[in-house]
Amino acid sequence: MRRERREQLQTGLMLAPSVLLLAVFVLIPICVVFAYSFALRDPYGAVLPGFTFDNYRDLFQGVYLQIFVNSFYLAGMTTALCLLIGYPVAYFIAFKAGRAAPALLLLLLIPFWINFLIRISAWVVLLGRGGLINQGLLLSGLIDVPVGMLGTVGATLVGMVYAFLPVTVFPIYAALTPIDRRLLEAGADLGAGPAETFFRITLPLSLPGVLAAALFVFVPSMGVFAIPVLLGGGKEIILGNLIVQLFLEFRNIPAGSAVSILLLVLSGFGILLYMRALRRVEAMK
Amino acid sequence: MTPHRAMPNWFVRRFVYGISGWVTLLSYLFMLLPIVVLLAFAFNAGKSTVVWTGFSLKWFEKVVTNRNIIQALQVSLIVAVASAALSTMIGAAAAVAITRRAFPGRDILSAALAAPLVLPEIVLSVALLVFMSFAGVTLGYTTMIIGHILISIPFATLIVRAAASSLDVRLENAAADLGANEWQTFYMVTLPQLMPSILTAFILSATLSFDNLVMSTFTSGVGTTTLPLRIYSMLKLGITPEINALGALMVLANVTILLLVMSRYLPLILKTNRR
Repeated sequence: MRRERREQLQTGLMLAPSVLLLAVFVLIPICVVFAYSFALRDPYGAVLPGFTFDNYRDLFQGVYLQIFVNSFYLAGMTTALCLLIGYPVAYFIAFKAGRAAPALLLLLLIPFWINFLIRISAWVVLLGRGGLINQGLLLSGLIDVPVGMLGTVGATLVGMVYAFLPVTVFPIYAALTPIDRRLLEAGADLGAGPAETFFRITLPLSLPGVLAAALFVFVPSMGVFAIPVLLGGGKEIILGNLIVQLFLEFRNIPAGSAVSILLLVLSGFGILLYMRALRRVEAMK
Repeated sequence: MTPHRAMPNWFVRRFVYGISGWVTLLSYLFMLLPIVVLLAFAFNAGKSTVVWTGFSLKWFEKVVTNRNIIQALQVSLIVAVASAALSTMIGAAAAVAITRRAFPGRDILSAALAAPLVLPEIVLSVALLVFMSFAGVTLGYTTMIIGHILISIPFATLIVRAAASSLDVRLENAAADLGANEWQTFYMVTLPQLMPSILTAFILSATLSFDNLVMSTFTSGVGTTTLPLRIYSMLKLGITPEINALGALMVLANVTILLLVMSRYLPLILKTNRR
């Protein structure tokens, strides 16, 4: 009896810090943000008690709406490009690289060792008017005058793909490696060509990895703020930039809270979609 | 028979199988070439990050004598070590409890500990900012360390959990049979076996904290500018080879830590795995 109580006490002591941490610094703050998203604001930036849906209504008008469209476009394009490029890379490492596979995986980790901002700064230089890409294009005679690539949506997109591509490859690779090669051989023996083998065996079996990769890219890419500023010139801003501006520059806490809650809901929605899709894929097997 | 028959086999052989090698090659160039260029221009003599004018180490000298950078480095190191230590302790305790003890709400807690991994970091950050100003706490080391713990705790917990769940309970039973009390068993049998994973968790947490930009943007106060925040403001003003030199130094530091850890702990990790 005493031993049991002592064990309970120990378990409680081991759990208390993490439970307190999550409750006090995650759960309660999110509730505060939720409450603030319905609050009013005086002209000096102070939050006034009150209840209004205006903060949410404003999000679907004018500039805000444009930012939403930008965010979805950019996050969607980033995800699509990362999957389109990341899938063949993961496929190559899993099925074709042979003994080079561990080295390729290790090389893929290098970007994680280098500070994200410093990696992005490399692209600021590369895409600049005097940068290597412009120099190469001038040398090849494709252009006569340097092209202004910085400060465009294209530059932002390059930076986003650059930042998220390594993250895309790992889950797809993890889903591809355990595929039983005998299944592929069986498919071929039964008369399936490479196309059929790929689309009816390999691709469906790797779908969970593709879905996970999509989730890991889509959700965080809407909250990024450094890339659109450094590469996109801060012209086409996305949700991440909007949150930074509303909280740190305009001190509009109610509006910022509403945007944050919306982003939270969107990512929750993304996770739900992912889980539903995953269940459907599992049921297919 | 199937809708995919429409896609000819030569197409797939060429573009899905054959091309994967080319895509891989180009992707690796895309991912690694900018880093090579960046590191090379850290040694450029001129002020340009585009035109090579000769070899020089002067930008490294500029970095190590730049007081703003040194100060930011200090802040970053303090926050990284403090948040990693706390995150690892809190995470390890929770991980051991989750794998070893039965308690109500265990699944909920383990899901909640992974939540900061899937929630947008920027939302966690503003929530903490709003809460701290609501509670009247001045932004500074405390708020930033708490914020960084939230970022690293999912990883710390997962790493220690993986190790704790593969522990051999018989070793602990043997220790108890040989007369060790509960504390002695934990301290002399369980903890040493968990040590490699705890160290891994600490290093990963410290790295995540050291590189963090988003959480720091919202939780740093006056005088607690971290290195990434400093780099961000330097980048907004324009690129100089100083940034490249700083990047090169950070790569060097990372590789050194990695090699030290590997040489010291790899034999240990291999030994535990071989059991």
